[in-house]
Amino acid sequence: MRLASYLRKMRGSVHGRPPRVSLSEVLWSWTGAFLGIAAVAWLNQRFFIGSDLTLAIGSLGASAVLVFGAVRSPLAQPRNLVGGHVLSALVGVTCWQWLGGEPWLAQSVAVATAIALMHLTRTLHPPGGATALIAVIGSDQVHAMGYLFVLFPATLGPLVLLVVALLFNNLPAARRYPEFWL
Amino acid sequence: MTQRPSRDSSEPPSAQDDLAEIELTDDDILEAMREIPGYLDITTMDFRAVYRLAHRHAIDRLFSGITAGRLMRRAVSPLTPETPLAAAIPSFVRQGLKSLPVADGQQRVLGILTETDVMRRLGAETFLGLLARVIAGEPCIEPELHHRPVSEFMTSPVVSVPLDAGLRELLAAFADHPGRAMPVISADGRLAGLLLRKVFLTACHPDHRS
Repeated sequence: MRLASYLRKMRGSVHGRPPRVSLSEVLWSWTGAFLGIAAVAWLNQRFFIGSDLTLAIGSLGASAVLVFGAVRSPLAQPRNLVGGHVLSALVGVTCWQWLGGEPWLAQSVAVATAIALMHLTRTLHPPGGATALIAVIGSDQVHAMGYLFVLFPATLGPLVLLVVALLFNNLPAARRYPEFWL
Repeated sequence: MTQRPSRDSSEPPSAQDDLAEIELTDDDILEAMREIPGYLDITTMDFRAVYRLAHRHAIDRLFSGITAGRLMRRAVSPLTPETPLAAAIPSFVRQGLKSLPVADGQQRVLGILTETDVMRRLGAETFLGLLARVIAGEPCIEPELHHRPVSEFMTSPVVSVPLDAGLRELLAAFADHPGRAMPVISADGRLAGLLLRKVFLTACHPDHRS
């Protein structure tokens, strides 16, 4: 019966829950994320507040989860971190400018297209979806930036995280970053 | 009258036919994941799927040199179905084989005649069984049998393999029937040679391979 097997899939399998990481790992993740977001937020506060631009966007918090919490994940590698945000921001800004009259459509097209593009370019980075959505939802400041949004939070932000991740994730013996560059 | 082995090598691997595959339990995988520091962004199901396919690729790579065409014995004179048993038996002896393919005039394989087929027809399961009867002085070879044609004794249909059959297909084919040799069939359906089980086994042995 098709329906039954379809519904059975929703129960999930009993397999596959990854184990909890060690306490030291938790601490390393905490410290890395603290330093990464601190760097972004401090630079934002120092150089961007009061200007028309911003460096801190919510999706960088999501990137920090991957880059400091799941260091080995393919989703957390430099290609994905930077590529995912840049492509998604491009898609998001374009959707806002072309489809902004229908916000629900602009938002859904932005996220869906961002995922498709990241897949095609092997830059899948889940926070990219958030970046695409932020470009459409805005704040007014984000909307006003136009394609500068691609450059200023969406390229520079991930680059700052990348630098911190490179410096920090290679300190602990059990960590290394990245697994690959491009 | 030839038969391909019933298992197809393109089928997804099952626990039975996958070579020397260790069945990994979730606990094994989770324990391994615990030994690796850091969060691994992968489920045990994903790991198992990757492992199984990678294992298959590794086996295929290691045994890529094994094909029926490369291992078979080419110089084989098949019997014809009309050959009388009396003429077939010297042919076994001359060729140093215990099975001979039976083929028609176009070299199409009709069956295979094995030592066991002949023994059975003589009423003995094994050579020693036959010897026991000879020692006991029982009459065991009826003279009229000599003139019966091979087609009456042979095993048919026969399990055969194509020239390009690889490790998996050959294993499945040898597992499918008790024979010690298998006819190898070329693309046009003609007899190309005979693959001996012992030759195949030797080729599979990692220490015997160059």
